[in-house]
Amino acid sequence: MTIAPGTAVPPLERRIDLPDMIAYAGATWDWHRLHYDPAYLAARDLPGPVVDGQVFGALLAEQLQDWLGPRARVRTLRFRFASMVFAGETVRCTGEVTAVRDGLVTVEQRVEVAGDGRTAVAPAGATVETGP
Amino acid sequence: MTALLTEEIRALVGREVSYTAPEELGRASIRYFALAVGDDNPLYTDETHARAHGYASVVAPPTLVCETNQYAGLPRDDDGYAGHTWRLDIPGTRLVRGGNHYTFHRPVLPTDVITVTWRIDDVTERTGARPLLIVTSTARYTDARGEPLATNTETLVYVALAEKT
Repeated sequence: MTIAPGTAVPPLERRIDLPDMIAYAGATWDWHRLHYDPAYLAARDLPGPVVDGQVFGALLAEQLQDWLGPRARVRTLRFRFASMVFAGETVRCTGEVTAVRDGLVTVEQRVEVAGDGRTAVAPAGATVETGP
Repeated sequence: MTALLTEEIRALVGREVSYTAPEELGRASIRYFALAVGDDNPLYTDETHARAHGYASVVAPPTLVCETNQYAGLPRDDDGYAGHTWRLDIPGTRLVRGGNHYTFHRPVLPTDVITVTWRIDDVTERTGARPLLIVTSTARYTDARGEPLATNTETLVYVALAEKT
């Protein structure tokens, strides 16, 4: 595998259903009503349970680890939230290499919602040590 | 609209709070997190696989350490939230999460006992039609010996609500 500026990172696509969100809320001890409570959401004019934004950080890290293999280590990861994602939506993480230097790969990433193409997370990006 | 950045808010810069986990992170926490995300990488669940690739044992997915509710030990608020917040009550605004910037210093192991120290680094105001108050905090995660595990710079944005006409 040749990695150079412009190389595409294989995309990662995942549907996030309410049970996935309940599992994430449990795993992170985060019981905020935003993630599951219909009455709480209706009172705030939200169309459905809101996916915890930190899930996208986890997916961006997963996308890189899957691509570069078990010896690679994510060193930095940054992401900015652009719009909310709701239960039942499918997100797609994409990325492209912007620099390769001294065993460090720098990528620019983004997260889009597969249905309507709106941006969930951008800009985002990471540096990954490719390892021995 | 009165200024959001009051002297009281400005005085928050430098405020610090620390939480230490009452126990080791543990393999079950790691497996649960990976399962919840849908990440089936065996580095998080298969000891033999992890050791074969240079790790001391299974490791935590990188971002797990930055999810601090597990070890903050805080009570649940009215929203059901039991994690660290600065509990800033800024009238006439709603809170929006801006984003995060993580730095990972070493893989986190199930045997790590994690301490996090949060600090408010900066508070700035953007004026205009929709005034904003931007609060930047940094969390530093360390192991039982005080060695760095990760750093998380978080941006919180308090957006002024539209004025009632």
